[in-house]
Amino acid sequence: MNLLSVSHLHVNFHMKKQELAALIDVSFTLNRGERIAIVGESGAGKSILGFSIVNLIGKPGYIESGSIKLENKELTTMNLRQLQEVRGKRIAMIFQDPMMTLNPVLTIGDQLVETIRSHTKISYKDARNIAIEKLHNVQIASPEKRFDQYPHELSGGMRQRVIIASVLLLNPDIIIADEPTTALDVTIQAEILQLLLAICRDNGVALILISHDLGVVSKVAERTLVMYAGHIVEEGPTLEIINDPQHPYTQGLLNALPQMTLPGQRLNQIQGSMPSLTERPSGCAFHPRCPYATQKPQFIYNGVSTVACFIIEDMLNEFSENEKEAL
Amino acid sequence: MATPLIQISGLEKAFTTKESWLGQWRLHQGKLTRHKDSVHALNGVNLTVNQGETLCVVGETGCGKSTLARVIMGLTKPSAGEIHYLDQRIDQLNDRQRMFFRRRMQMVFQNPYASLNPRMTVYQTLSEPISFHNPQLSQSHVDEKIDELLESVGISASSSDRYPHEFSGGQRQRISLARALSVEPDFIVADEPLSALDVSVQAQVLNLMMDKQEERNLSYLFITHDLAVVEHFATRVAVMYLGRVCELAPTATLFSSPKHPYTQALLSAIPRLDSNTAQPIRLIGEVPTPTEKPIGCVFQARCPYANQRCYESSPAMTLQSDGSSVACHAIEEGRL
Repeated sequence: MNLLSVSHLHVNFHMKKQELAALIDVSFTLNRGERIAIVGESGAGKSILGFSIVNLIGKPGYIESGSIKLENKELTTMNLRQLQEVRGKRIAMIFQDPMMTLNPVLTIGDQLVETIRSHTKISYKDARNIAIEKLHNVQIASPEKRFDQYPHELSGGMRQRVIIASVLLLNPDIIIADEPTTALDVTIQAEILQLLLAICRDNGVALILISHDLGVVSKVAERTLVMYAGHIVEEGPTLEIINDPQHPYTQGLLNALPQMTLPGQRLNQIQGSMPSLTERPSGCAFHPRCPYATQKPQFIYNGVSTVACFIIEDMLNEFSENEKEAL
Repeated sequence: MATPLIQISGLEKAFTTKESWLGQWRLHQGKLTRHKDSVHALNGVNLTVNQGETLCVVGETGCGKSTLARVIMGLTKPSAGEIHYLDQRIDQLNDRQRMFFRRRMQMVFQNPYASLNPRMTVYQTLSEPISFHNPQLSQSHVDEKIDELLESVGISASSSDRYPHEFSGGQRQRISLARALSVEPDFIVADEPLSALDVSVQAQVLNLMMDKQEERNLSYLFITHDLAVVEHFATRVAVMYLGRVCELAPTATLFSSPKHPYTQALLSAIPRLDSNTAQPIRLIGEVPTPTEKPIGCVFQARCPYANQRCYESSPAMTLQSDGSSVACHAIEEGRL
């Protein structure tokens, strides 16, 4: 049984003049203890997907149709009280900027204790002990001292550790991490990623890592979804996607990385940029930038006459394959 | 032999932290003394940028790489040290004297959303520097030049009356580059020009920068924390830590045999696509804020090889047999 299954999810933004589709027919599943990654460039809809799982998309966005099931509970139709049972307890979220996530006027300890006590009936002292234990788990030196400090007294890497600790407080089944290391330096990033990986492995927590960095993804995730303009365009085991990408966009994305070209050579760029919500192209969303896109169906000869139609083309291809098999 | 275009020697920059007059008094050995705290962003940087090369400066947040860029451009005055452009000293010039060098040196900033004036059309953004530095040019010549510039960075000349917000991030960064190129400089300082851009767009801008370099024999001082870009783009790499250059080497040498313990840790931390890379070398602690002028090696607090000498005297850059220069006692003594 899948822990989380998202099927045919459509998320729209309701604007004055039009409905803008941010997510179009997104489906995927997540098993217990599995680590998946959602990759894509800005505007692909990966953060919206992360937010909509815990129903955090605010107005004017809304889930238009589709279902998100946690085990057998439907999340899209839950009311606020039911959602609060899920948020934090079952599905926790790590955001990009650790300074924005922590409240600057409360001490680290207050914020951690508040999180525990708002979900479970427990004394302050017990909550404090749990918080310090979790701070210790995320390798923060002298957690008792840090407990009474304010976020501004910690460095960026430390703050992200505190957030990981706060996420662990309620022992969730799923952690959604939205670009958790983008604001950090490479050396700190490596540490945080290792920590996240260790925590997921040790506690059997499933992870949804949202990232634009394929290098980061390859270190953490077992399975990868590639998103483009609101669609999932490719899904597969991470190593397969990196070593043998199928979709032209994934190929382009990987080929654009500097390490794919010899030093000093021109990089393989993808022409153009991601279309914005208002100008999503018709047909395949990637076609304006795709090197293999065909404008219109080619004329093909079916033995008697020539026809320009994708349907006929497919049928003919199928037919010739069947013929080959028969032979 | 490469000719040096920019020479920097012993460059220092300290920023005084704002504190009230009362807060400046400290009890020191039984006496009240007035003491101003300052952050030492640059502590004796020596660098040379040769003509036609790309010198990449890498390092973590707070190592002083952006300060270096700003000091070279004259946006902040250095506390000590000298900067030479060819054989002219440029760090003590007043605005009028600097004018000539503003044409020769230009800068591209990190965030294309903030570095273009939102109230100026692309035409205005580009025509201002051109007609300011070339007052003799007629209006039609200026127009011609702008069209040419825009086309050369891959933006259609017909969109010159549009405002920055109508362009995507990559296009905006190309407009920034066009603005820098508009006065035909020899030297461009680029401060993290790619970090606000997506991978596929990053490649477009990087390609453009390489094309322009070839076309105009430009020299770049390229500041970044993205080591994959550095490996691809740089001629030489300078690794900075706490306001000092700790390793300077040709790109291929640096990536194949990093010498300084910090460089080794930095390189091992890049998340690479191939899965069988070694575990990253873990550095203890984080980059400290240099409020005191460092005594000894700047990296001593996090260095696994530090000994007594590292705490006492600061290592000098020494040339290694393979052309790289490293500032490290452990390497000098053969302990590493």
